[in-house]
Amino acid sequence: MPDQAAVAARSLRKAYGERVAVDGVDFEVPPATCFGFLGPNGAGKTTTMKMIYGLAMVGGGELQVLGLDARSQRRRIKSRLGVVPQETNLDGDLSVLENLLVQASYFGIERDTAEARARELLDFTRLADRFEDQIVSLSGGMKRRLLVARALINEPDMVVLDEPTTGLDPQARLAVWRSLESLKRRGVTLLLTTHYMEEAARLCDRLVIMDEGRIVAEGEPATLVREHVGREVLELRVADECDAQELVASLDGRLEGHDFTEDALMLYAPDAEELLEAIDQERYPTESALVRRATLEDVFLRLTGRSLRE
Amino acid sequence: MTDVVPSPRYAARVVGRNALVFSKLWKGALLPQFLDPLFYLVALGFGLGTYVATINGQDYRDFLAPGLIASAAMWAAAFECTYNVYFRMNETRLYDAILSTPVEVQDIVAGDLAWSSIRSAIYGSVFLVVVAAFGLIHSPWALLLPPLVALGGLCMSVVAYTFTALIPKIDLYSYFFTLGITPMFLFSGIFFPFDELPGFAEVIAWFTPLYHSVEIARAMATGPDALVLVHVAWLAVVSAALFVVPVRAVRRRLVP
Repeated sequence: MPDQAAVAARSLRKAYGERVAVDGVDFEVPPATCFGFLGPNGAGKTTTMKMIYGLAMVGGGELQVLGLDARSQRRRIKSRLGVVPQETNLDGDLSVLENLLVQASYFGIERDTAEARARELLDFTRLADRFEDQIVSLSGGMKRRLLVARALINEPDMVVLDEPTTGLDPQARLAVWRSLESLKRRGVTLLLTTHYMEEAARLCDRLVIMDEGRIVAEGEPATLVREHVGREVLELRVADECDAQELVASLDGRLEGHDFTEDALMLYAPDAEELLEAIDQERYPTESALVRRATLEDVFLRLTGRSLRE
Repeated sequence: MTDVVPSPRYAARVVGRNALVFSKLWKGALLPQFLDPLFYLVALGFGLGTYVATINGQDYRDFLAPGLIASAAMWAAAFECTYNVYFRMNETRLYDAILSTPVEVQDIVAGDLAWSSIRSAIYGSVFLVVVAAFGLIHSPWALLLPPLVALGGLCMSVVAYTFTALIPKIDLYSYFFTLGITPMFLFSGIFFPFDELPGFAEVIAWFTPLYHSVEIARAMATGPDALVLVHVAWLAVVSAALFVVPVRAVRRRLVP
């Protein structure tokens, strides 16, 4: 069943009491790809993930994971998944190696196999020389890498990662990214949530953007940027006396879109440099102008708004 | 019902994890909980005991010692299924990690309870040896005490686990220990018999697990009668009947 979707959700819903966390989402994760969930805090990403890996009951709709029903076949699904949770929940009473061995025991993996796999994974995550250490002595980046190693102990068909690099320094993030890319090459399906647009752009083949429990956009990162923003962005800080509304009106025909933010004007166009030259500086004085490529961040902010969510 | 009945295989792995941790920490963990009943034995048995020579014709030390075996087991179970479980469930979030494997909530609860009752048997047995060394055991039937004490520990564990699964904050344990465990310890017939107390005292005690454990331990230390079977049945039935309560409560908390 190589073409079967790794995850298929139809009208998936979840409410905690009165609060609706996931409000009817549909998506399909193709096998052996990296699929991303983007969205502000409280958008419903983590709840969606938890329903997939069995830490939240499906509230409504249909959810199939690896071809199995998420409601009735929890044990079978979980035996084929690896999970890297948002919060570090390593077993602090055990050493690095023991964390992996005990995790293997929960999957019913034989001791010899578990030991061989654990050593291999500690090499893979570059923790081999720390195998006897206690968890408290590890840095944040090492704990994350150990979580990745732990998620792989059962040779899963799919790995679910909830904000795998939040709080890591750039080197540690790069290390996690590299290990995820190498997993993808081996044909493991990756499902990840993130706040970092460059992480999504680098790792994800496809992604959805969620907001207030719904999916507001879905597609390949580059396509999403092209469709929702365009090629380039001109970021203008206009002077007080400049009428921004009128400026936008004067550029009619040249723009693919625009946004007003608290302190800047975002203009989207195929060639932002050319656009900047076309602006009549006499009538519309600007304090600063920045020409740059459109990114996923622009898509994200356009679709989910620029104001603080919490 | 399928989401309540545990899988012995998966529950055994949870026991394995807890036993591995205990094997590293036992030296530190065993001593305080073992000294506690020893102090009671010395202070009451050999202190107060010189004034209270006999109770119902039985030497006071012989009366006291078996009850302390039962209570040593109870304290072990009470600590394991309160603070230890609370931390794994709510602070270190270890149960989230275990639940991301084929292990389910009912397996974790069953495994934790099984481990807690093994642990209470260890504490009870160590104290049995001490009591025997003082010459306070008079029947070979006492050799059956470890499994019986484990049963009492199991019943205590289910009660403590239920409390743990229901409380929103760790502070509430002070109520559990002050209003639950301590009075039970003092009024379960370990230190004095019910004969001279008003009748309702024994009726209330009858509803607590420790009372039955103490009766069993005292009977086995001197030579049992058929009543032991009633106490064993009480502990087994109550443990089995209550099991679903913590399972449901933990599931509501961890897999909403």
